[in-house]
Amino acid sequence: MRYLTPMSRSLFFALSAFVVTLIALGCGGDSGGPGPDVLGRCAEFDELRQPFFGDTHIHTVLSLDANLQGTRPGPMEAYAFAKGTPIGVQPYDADGNPLRTATPDPDRRLDFVMLSDHAEYLGTIAVCNDPNSPAYDRPADPDARPDDVGCIEYRTTNPAEITAVFRRLNALTALAPDDTRYPALCGDSGTECIEAGIDVWAQVQDAAEAAYDRSDSCDFTSFVGYEWSAGPLTANLHRNVMFRNDVVPELPISYFDEPYVEDLWAGLRDECIDTDTGCDALAIPHNSNLAAGTFFERPDKNGNPFDASYAQLRHDLEPVIEIFQHKGASECLPGQAISDELCGFEILPYANLANVNLQDLQLFGDADPRDFVRGALGEGMKLELELGVNPFQHGIISSTDTHIAAPGYDNEKTFLGHGGAGQPNRELPAPEGFPDVQYLNPGGPAGVWAEENSRNAIFEAFRRREVFGTSGPRIVPRVFGGWDLPTDLCDSPELSRIGYEQGVPMGGELSDPPDGSMPKFLVSAKQDPMSAPLQRIQIIKGWLEGGDYRVQVFDYVAGDPNNTASVDLATCEPQGTGAADLCTVWEDESFDPTQPAYYYVRVIENPTCRWTAQQCVDANYDCDNPTTQFDFDCCDPTAGLNVAFCDDVAAGLTGGEAACCRTDNPTSSTSVSFCNDVAGTLPPADGQCCRPRLEGAIQERAWTSPIWYQPPS
Amino acid sequence: MLRPLLHFFLIGALLFAGKIVFESRDGDPPEITVRMPADSTEAQVEKEIRNQILLNEARRYGWYRTDPIVFTHLVRNMRFIEPDTGDDDLTLFKRALQMNMQEHDPVVRARLLYRAREALTYVPEDRMPTREELEEHRAAHEDRFEREGKVRFEHVFLSGTKRGEALASDAVAMSAQLEALGNAAPTGRGDPLPGLRAVQSSTVSQIRASYGEELAGVIDEGVVGSWRGPVPSVYGVHFVRVLEKEPSSVPALTIIEAEVRADLLSEIKEELSKERMEALRNAYVVHVERIP
Repeated sequence: MRYLTPMSRSLFFALSAFVVTLIALGCGGDSGGPGPDVLGRCAEFDELRQPFFGDTHIHTVLSLDANLQGTRPGPMEAYAFAKGTPIGVQPYDADGNPLRTATPDPDRRLDFVMLSDHAEYLGTIAVCNDPNSPAYDRPADPDARPDDVGCIEYRTTNPAEITAVFRRLNALTALAPDDTRYPALCGDSGTECIEAGIDVWAQVQDAAEAAYDRSDSCDFTSFVGYEWSAGPLTANLHRNVMFRNDVVPELPISYFDEPYVEDLWAGLRDECIDTDTGCDALAIPHNSNLAAGTFFERPDKNGNPFDASYAQLRHDLEPVIEIFQHKGASECLPGQAISDELCGFEILPYANLANVNLQDLQLFGDADPRDFVRGALGEGMKLELELGVNPFQHGIISSTDTHIAAPGYDNEKTFLGHGGAGQPNRELPAPEGFPDVQYLNPGGPAGVWAEENSRNAIFEAFRRREVFGTSGPRIVPRVFGGWDLPTDLCDSPELSRIGYEQGVPMGGELSDPPDGSMPKFLVSAKQDPMSAPLQRIQIIKGWLEGGDYRVQVFDYVAGDPNNTASVDLATCEPQGTGAADLCTVWEDESFDPTQPAYYYVRVIENPTCRWTAQQCVDANYDCDNPTTQFDFDCCDPTAGLNVAFCDDVAAGLTGGEAACCRTDNPTSSTSVSFCNDVAGTLPPADGQCCRPRLEGAIQERAWTSPIWYQPPS
Repeated sequence: MLRPLLHFFLIGALLFAGKIVFESRDGDPPEITVRMPADSTEAQVEKEIRNQILLNEARRYGWYRTDPIVFTHLVRNMRFIEPDTGDDDLTLFKRALQMNMQEHDPVVRARLLYRAREALTYVPEDRMPTREELEEHRAAHEDRFEREGKVRFEHVFLSGTKRGEALASDAVAMSAQLEALGNAAPTGRGDPLPGLRAVQSSTVSQIRASYGEELAGVIDEGVVGSWRGPVPSVYGVHFVRVLEKEPSSVPALTIIEAEVRADLLSEIKEELSKERMEALRNAYVVHVERIP
């Protein structure tokens, strides 16, 4: 309760007591209920662990940005989508019906989901969107506090104004955090926003509880969570907070409560982990690629270098990092000293979160190599030598960061955009061109190896880093490292048991090498049966040599080095062959037992079409034929473009027929010309599909968590 | 002066019908005129009447003045009309309202309709479901809460990548080995594959997502106790023996209470929305003009 003022604390306790009373009244005399959520409660339990896929980064109508972008599905609808129910997606027609439908891919069902609505504004934005709130029409009150923010500012949808509000609040945070959290519109001591925040947080918990399968079928697991959205000077330092179970703090900790990450961690310990209530939490950093070079900086909040206690907190609270999602990859940056041609995958051409909204402004320059995880893995090993603990010992996952409440919506072939990044998809007519910023991507799932599909099992997998991420396809990689792994382990049906008995899985640590031994790694992977075959498996090794950080990419640990697979960009048909599964036992012959090291695995698919190329192909786009661009904009409902607008225009021309879309209509050339004149803002034919900047083909992939080696001290 | 009905919905004061309000208020009932093309069907006319009623309620409550999306959209419209203006957003917004732009804009209309429909679904405390109602709901809609049946089966896999051209002959040999095993477990046979277990229990849809349609179909149709295979997949070939088929089931209310409550609440919201819409419909005096 550290972050509540005395008055608001009193109010909070009063409200909490009220809620507790209601619960007691509602549940009085109720016997039974689901059994304890302990490991082993699922009928399908395997001590050798099973792969599960999930998404731990989803925004619904409860998030400020998603809300302002017109996203309407809430937590219930998001969970329903994860289980197979389509949702309506913006824009909406004049009767309020969604013009687009996002349909879950039945072959990419999720096993677990954590909604991560932004903690910031959770109560405040609810107040500002509730016409019955006294604050609804309350303007900023500069007399109450300098630079106050009113509901009008909170309700702004102008990206530049959002940034301005963020900056203003950031500046306030440095001076008076309480004022920042509860601006004047929240009333005395933040009363109205606290009350609204409790309601919204209760919605999040109720939805998670309703979605969680507590039967022994264990078909679906939900986690309560939120996003702590720190953005000093709009540099992204965001973390998703994940709770082990339904014992959670009374309110999320927002950036405005705790503007420094070490205070978020301290808050999670104080409010949850150390309370002896069964509450447990971890934080998942993400989008380090958009932190303007600051994500893994050494200074703490006071500008001092990390000390051991900081490093320990970061190590304990942040076992996993999300290195791939809608807003790009954070693995590695091309052009660095180490040659790695595959580092160019889904790299955003800027270094700052604000640039996602303000595409034309290079506020902080190009992507910064200091923000990428491969560099941090090296820094972490250096810090471990200095401090005795590695603050960047991160396992690896992916997620979507969808802002349309569509968990796991990560298929390049059906992508409708995630609605985030300030894209005004809520409006009718919809923006021209692609339904999302062309640099962004559909994201991918988080994978875990866990005993069963339950909260405890999956949370523990995160904690021990036995996790992986993919760029979308359900590739299943498995890795074990050890000193004595049999070289023929790939042939053994007992592979998993031997792997655990004689080694450590992904995310683990190797130590104490027998004399003269070199580490061996069982690396295997299975392709997504509905996606492209695998091309190869790579191992990325990083180590410290005389204090210097070195990296080597072992390019073809498994797979066919002569694989010439490709994709026909005119049709998106894959060409060539690949492997459905790959497996090998690889030994590091260059191993030096005195050098700290890590090893992670990258599994590479054969080339396929990127979502942008897929949409151009689906629209029969022809760069030599400008009228096709108009057809694409007007006539493809799956592209989420100007359908209703074009219908309106066409109706004026031909009495209700969508003449703009009818290239076979004798009058269509006139119509198209007219429509183009009217539309005015439609891009030229080469504006999108013909941009050479956009890569047509990609190689989807999976990344495993590293296995670390630490020499004997 | 009449207070906007949706306000009452939001605060839970109007629980049964707009009629109650109108019976106790002073003044005349609200009137609207709906203009429709002459060839409109009755259904189209009725739909538009209801939309106009909701829009009128939103208008009477002044949501067009305070809704964030309406605000941004009208500002954007104004900047399109006046590209060189130096006025701030609020000034432009006020000017848009003076021009009555909100009355004719499809985005504003859609947004206000959305908000009005949301208001109609407000659930007051006394409509929250009781435990008895939850039990009844679970029993009446078992299909909604059913857990998909699972198949427990033994699985032997031969990798096409690993065996290459020998896959076909290896499959023949494996088939014979399994046949000779009788009821014994096929321990130690076949190739490993990430996620594949010698014995596992899965739903057919999980098998489909993991190994493709053909293997899922074979397992779904499989008879308990006999080996089936080789069944091809992108990975190679599979041999499966169904050990047990667990039928679909509905967990007890104690296990799935939150799930049942959420489902019932969505029904209650739909019901309340209909009730309230009917109350509004009955409360309004509606004139329909058919335009040739």
